[in-house]
Amino acid sequence: MSELEAYRAKAQAWLDSMAPKYARDARRGMTVEQELALGREFQALKYEAGYAGINWPTDFGGQGLTHLHKITYDALEMNYGMPTVFFGISLGMPVPILMRFGLGENKEHFAWVKERVIKALRGEEIWCQLFSEPSGGSDLAGLRTRAEPEGNGWKMNGQKIWTSWAQYCDYGVIVVRTDPTVEKHKGLTYFWVDMKAKGVDVRPIKLAGGDSHVNEVFFDDVRLEDSQRMSPVGGGFGVALTTLMIERYIATDSGGFGPHLDVFVDLVKDLEINGRPALKDARVRSQIARNHAMRAGLESITSRAFQMMMAGMEPGPEGSLQKLVAVRSRQKLSELAMDLQGNLGLDFDPHAYVKEDWGASWLNAPTGRIAGGSDEVLLNTIAERILGLPQDHRPDKGVAFNQIPA
Amino acid sequence: MSMLYDEGQQAIATESRRVLDARVGKDRLLALLEKTGEFDQAFWDTAVEQGWTALAIPEEHGGLGLSLVELGLVAQASGAATAGAPFLTFGYGAARALIDGSDSAAAAEWLPKLASGEALGTVAFAEGTTPLPPVASVTFEGGKLTGTKPAVPAGLKADFAVVWASAGGKPVLVLAQLAGADRKVVSSYDNSRLYADLTFAGTPASVLAEGDAARALALDVLARMAVVTAHEQTGGAEALLHTAREYAVTRKAFGQPIGAFQSIKHRIAEMYGLVEIARATCIHAAASEGKDNFLIAAADARIAATDGYDTASRDCVQIHGGIGVTWELGLHLHMRRARSLAVELGNLYFWEDLLVEQLTGEAA
Repeated sequence: MSELEAYRAKAQAWLDSMAPKYARDARRGMTVEQELALGREFQALKYEAGYAGINWPTDFGGQGLTHLHKITYDALEMNYGMPTVFFGISLGMPVPILMRFGLGENKEHFAWVKERVIKALRGEEIWCQLFSEPSGGSDLAGLRTRAEPEGNGWKMNGQKIWTSWAQYCDYGVIVVRTDPTVEKHKGLTYFWVDMKAKGVDVRPIKLAGGDSHVNEVFFDDVRLEDSQRMSPVGGGFGVALTTLMIERYIATDSGGFGPHLDVFVDLVKDLEINGRPALKDARVRSQIARNHAMRAGLESITSRAFQMMMAGMEPGPEGSLQKLVAVRSRQKLSELAMDLQGNLGLDFDPHAYVKEDWGASWLNAPTGRIAGGSDEVLLNTIAERILGLPQDHRPDKGVAFNQIPA
Repeated sequence: MSMLYDEGQQAIATESRRVLDARVGKDRLLALLEKTGEFDQAFWDTAVEQGWTALAIPEEHGGLGLSLVELGLVAQASGAATAGAPFLTFGYGAARALIDGSDSAAAAEWLPKLASGEALGTVAFAEGTTPLPPVASVTFEGGKLTGTKPAVPAGLKADFAVVWASAGGKPVLVLAQLAGADRKVVSSYDNSRLYADLTFAGTPASVLAEGDAARALALDVLARMAVVTAHEQTGGAEALLHTAREYAVTRKAFGQPIGAFQSIKHRIAEMYGLVEIARATCIHAAASEGKDNFLIAAADARIAATDGYDTASRDCVQIHGGIGVTWELGLHLHMRRARSLAVELGNLYFWEDLLVEQLTGEAA
């Protein structure tokens, strides 16, 4: 057994021991607040067991293992439905960025940062990422929240949106405009912000599926110390891009984070179309086959990326297809599953799990196609970055932000 | 199960691509389209000279003893060049039937000749719309074959065929020399595939497998050929992706490269997705050779690659506009090949049903 296989076996045994109290089935019927409390408890145990901050430096309380150890653990944990969703973004982007850009010129903030990192790893504190704004999600550099110098610090005003879990967050990282007279991506600066500070107002947004994990966040004369600045003044866009690129190879799911194909087959086995078994129907068979082939391709891409990393190579760019292809097909397969159930598929449980329930999967699929890069933006990225096709026509190029036609 | 190519395999990929780039010319391929009953002899000479015919034949029979992975890489390079003769796939299928069949004398006679390129073999399973009929209409009785196999790829030039037949209503896989069969050439939209109706009238044949074993062997041979073909289709689709991309960055309209328009760039990005998924399923299938899940992996590759090549040939022509439909530019070489490969190894209805039966246990 390789070292990694042994690691996997040990992690699986630990997760098995945790499952009765924390896994999906143990939490049915709980409110979000109850789940969060249980999640914090699980996260602390995870830290004690050495499964939090797996590939983070030991200096900061991490385990100092490889990225492969981390995705091995993450892929396993995904099967259990553990209550870790509240910490995914926090530990995925803001906290790693804090370790990298929050230390100060002479590492004078090291002790403070380390304390934050450990509290975040233990689930005691949660960080959010304040990037998107009402005026644009895909067009990050077009943001309008502004910070103006005030004394030896800054005064911030504006609004962010789609901020996941902000209502439970202690801190956030934020990009704001500090100079509107230069080109749009040159006038931005990156800070961290205390989400409990005076002038910060968080308002949850109820989404189509009924849950409220995203928020609007308003800033009204919020004071920022200059020590909260994590980029040079005007250098925030670069740190923002680093934040978005930080985890290119995360645990993927060929089911698009919806139900797996065997769940579909199990459903269809008991259904009929016009009095005949649905599984005999050519239309249904075709969909099963097409989805299987596509998912097999995505799984092969994942498996090869993993092997490349084990061999010390950089995985190919084809990994960027995962979300685009998987979530889109999940949406259609969910519709088909609902169609096939006929009237029996009309009942709906708003608390159902998206990986088990077709209604929940369908209703939440559009979010998956928009969050973290919409299908259209992903296609542009593939076309421009991988295939070298020209950028879209951009009338705002080379124009000072405050001169861009509204 | 998937894999990374090792150095030897990467060298095969690079070298086969280099040789084909140097030796395959569009003019010759275009001329072949208008001739019935001829194939790309220069390509085949290259295949023999490069040892591609010997790649996947065991060493004890004069081959190189390599696997589907290496043969797949050669097929991918051939597909990119729309080179290829039907023997690359169908000769391999015939060899596999001999390797796994029960006639060791026939294996000893034919396998070294297939490896050296001295003999050409093919596979004749399909009848009408069915790639592998439950009961073949071609019958085998008293050591003799009777009946017709329509439009057999490579049928016009092959020395022998492995034939799917029935004996007293039970399946049987036999080997028949084609010198004793009547061959009628089929004029096609992809002429160099050498399609011929093969009519047997008491043609002598020897048994390779009978009953359930015959069906299992035929299915395995078909799946292996499907994986080779899937590589060829992926190579074709990838070549079209690059062609479309080149055209989109050079061709200008409305004052900018057409690749700056999202209707074009997104079409090309989608094509990239289809190519990469097809490639990934091919690698997975080739690496699954001889394993329990091989039929499933082969069907996945067949479906992904057929869809990828058909879509790429449609979209690449569309992106080119008027020039795309000219004889001279030759994109129709890919259009034609995409269709002939989609049909030759059994259409997707067959493979979808086969895959679902493997996954669920439920036949159509």
